[in-house]
Amino acid sequence: MRIVIAEDAAVIRAGLTEILTDRGHEIVAAVGDAAALLAAVAAHAPDVAIIDVRMPPDHTDEGLRAAIAIRRTHPGVGILVFSQYVETRYAADLLRMHSGGVGYLLKDRVANVAEFADAIARVAAGGTALDPEVVTGLLTATRHAAALDALTPREHDVLALMAEGRSNSAIADRFAVSERAVEKHISNIFSKLGLPPSDSDHRRVLAVLAFLDER
Amino acid sequence: MRTRTLAADGHNTVITYDNQTMTEQAGSPLRHVIEAPFTRRTWSELGHALISFPVAASAFVCLVPMLHNGIFWAVSAPVVRWFGAAARSLSRTLLGEDIPAPPPFRPPLRLKVATPDAAAAVRLFEAVQAAGGKARVWETKPGVTTRLLPPARVAELAATAGVTVPSPAPQGEFAEWMGARVLDPVAWRARAYFALKLPLALVSLAVIAAGWLGGVFCLTFPVWWTLALSTVFGGSLASSFTFLPLGATLLLAAPWAMHGLTETDRWLMRSLLGPGSPATRIRVLEESRARAVDDSAARLRGIERDLHDGTQAQLVALAMKLGLAMEKLDTAAPVDLPRIAQLVGDAHRGALEAIADLRTLARGIHPPVLDNGLADALATLANRSALPVELITDIPERPSAAIETIAYFSAAELLANVAKHSGARRATLEAVHVPGLLRVRVTDDGRGGAHPVPHGGLHGLAERVRTVDGRIDIDSPVGGPTTVTVELPSHA
Repeated sequence: MRIVIAEDAAVIRAGLTEILTDRGHEIVAAVGDAAALLAAVAAHAPDVAIIDVRMPPDHTDEGLRAAIAIRRTHPGVGILVFSQYVETRYAADLLRMHSGGVGYLLKDRVANVAEFADAIARVAAGGTALDPEVVTGLLTATRHAAALDALTPREHDVLALMAEGRSNSAIADRFAVSERAVEKHISNIFSKLGLPPSDSDHRRVLAVLAFLDER
Repeated sequence: MRTRTLAADGHNTVITYDNQTMTEQAGSPLRHVIEAPFTRRTWSELGHALISFPVAASAFVCLVPMLHNGIFWAVSAPVVRWFGAAARSLSRTLLGEDIPAPPPFRPPLRLKVATPDAAAAVRLFEAVQAAGGKARVWETKPGVTTRLLPPARVAELAATAGVTVPSPAPQGEFAEWMGARVLDPVAWRARAYFALKLPLALVSLAVIAAGWLGGVFCLTFPVWWTLALSTVFGGSLASSFTFLPLGATLLLAAPWAMHGLTETDRWLMRSLLGPGSPATRIRVLEESRARAVDDSAARLRGIERDLHDGTQAQLVALAMKLGLAMEKLDTAAPVDLPRIAQLVGDAHRGALEAIADLRTLARGIHPPVLDNGLADALATLANRSALPVELITDIPERPSAAIETIAYFSAAELLANVAKHSGARRATLEAVHVPGLLRVRVTDDGRGGAHPVPHGGLHGLAERVRTVDGRIDIDSPVGGPTTVTVELPSHA
C-alpha cells in the first residue's frame, strides 16, 4: 500500500514509518504539517493518508481540516486521523462526510501494531476504523441518551462495535456468539432507535452516527 | 534611555491589630475610668499630639496660597508628600498604626505619535502597553498618545511597530511635568489632611492645657493658695479645697477627649495619607490578578505543549517500537533476533530520552533544588551558568514559596540573557532579603542596550513579577554595563 504520513513529532513519524515499512507498505511521503500533506497527497495520490490532528502552526485541528480538504479533492484516498485525545467533535466532523474509507484512532492504539495495521487495511478498503474510546465518546455525547438507555448492555456493546466499523462476523467473534445472534441484536437496536435496517458495513456506521449526531 | 521602571504600582496592604484598645476593654468600668490617665495608650496619644503639632504647623505653609500659585503647588507637592510621610512615621512609632504609603509620584511623559494608518496605531498601542506604559489611540485621525515611557523608548517601540517617529519630543515637557506635579492627587490629599489636622492639633493642645495642666493645677490648688495666691483669690484655705473635684474631673476626662481626638486623627490619616481609595487599590489588585491568571494559563499551555510534543510523543514512539518487537517475537516464523535487539535497543534509548526530557520539564515547573532554599538554588544556577558568576546572597529568612520560585526563574532568565545576548565576560548575581522585600539583581559587563520587547524574555519576566506586585528595573545604557533589579514582596 502507498501511504502518506503527516505528523509533526519526528519520533512518531519515524516510528510509524518503521512499523509500516516493516509490514511491506511504501511510505511515499512523511511530512510535518498540513500544507506539506496536501502537496504530498496531490503529488503521490496515495492509498491512505495517516494524519495527526494537531499540527503546526496553531496545534489545534489543522490535520482534521486538511483531511476534510483531501476528502473533497481526492475522494479515493483513505483517511486515518489520529490524535492524543478523544475529540468527538473531530470524529463527528470527519464521519459526517458520508463516505467510507475513514478512521479515527488514538495514538496509544498505534502501539498495538496488529490492530493498527488492521485499521489501515479497513480504511484503505473503504471501511471505517473508529477507536473504541472515540465511539464511547460519541455515544455519551449524544443527545439521545434516553433512547440509548432503552438498549440492553449487550446491545449497547454491539452498537459500539458497529460504530467502530466491525462486521457482523467480527462482532460475533468478539462476543463468542453466533452471527445470527448478532443480527438479532442489530435488528433490535435498529428498531429501538427507529433506524431502517441495512447490510453494508459503512452504511450501518453512518446510520448509527447519523442517529447519534442528529442535531 | 537609562532607567525604566515597569511596575511601581505595588504597595503592601498592612493590617494593624490594635492590641492596646483590645486589652483596655478588660476590667471593671470604674477601674477603667480611674486608670485611664495612666495607661500607655494615653501617654502615647499625648506624645503624638504634642509632636505632630509642629509637623502640622510646618506642613500648613504648603497650603497657604502665594503668588504664582501654579509653580508653588508644583514645588510644594514633594514637600507636602514628605510631611505626609513624616505624619505616617509618627503614627507608626507613637500610635502603632501603620498606614501604607501612597504610590510614588510618576511623571506622565506624554508623547503624541501620529501614525500612517490605524493598524500601525493599534500596533504601537499594544507595544506601549506591553512595555508597561499607558497609551490611548486617537479617535479622529490615526495616532497614539503615550504616557509613562521616555521618548527614546517610545521611538524604539514605534520602530518595531513600523512607524517612524520624526521627532519624539514630548509635548511641552516642562509644562507637562509641572502640570502633573500640580495635579498630584497624593499631594492634594496630604494638603487636605494638614488643613484639617492643624485645627485638630490646636484643639488637642487646648485639651492638654485644660485637662492636664488645669487638672493638676486645680488638684494642687490648696498648695498654690497657701504659697502665693491667698492674696489674689481671698477666701479661706478650706474653700480652696473646693477646686479639688474639678481638678480630678478634668484629669479623668482629658484622656477620653484625647482618645476621641486621636481616633479622628487616625481616621483622617487612613483616608487622606494612605494609598488612596479602596477602589484604586482594588483596581490595581484586579490588574495584577488578571496578569497572574493569564500568566499561569500561559504556563500551563506551555507545559501541556511540552508534554504533548515531547514526552508523550516519545512514549508513543517507544510503545510502537516495543509493539513491533512483540509482534516479531510472537510469530511462527524463525525469530529475527538482531532486528528485535535493534528495536529493543531503540526503545531503551527512547525511554532514557523521555526520562531526561521529563526531568528538564519538571525542573522548569519547580526546580527541586529550591527545596533547600533560594540561596542553594541560586548557587546551583550560578555554577551551571555559561560564564563566571559572582554570587552574593543574604537571605536570613525564607520568603514564601511562590516568591522563591519567581526569584529563581527571574535569576535564571536574567543569567540566560547575559550569556546569550550581552557579550559579557562575567556577571554578578545578588539576592538580598530585607524585611518585606526580596531583591534579586544581575549585573554584567556586557554591551548593554537591553530592553523588553513584546513576547520576549524580559517582558515575560516583567509580567510574571507584576503578578505578585513586584517590580523590575532595567538599567542598560548602550555600551553597558547592564543592571537588572527585580524586587518582590517577601510573601505573596
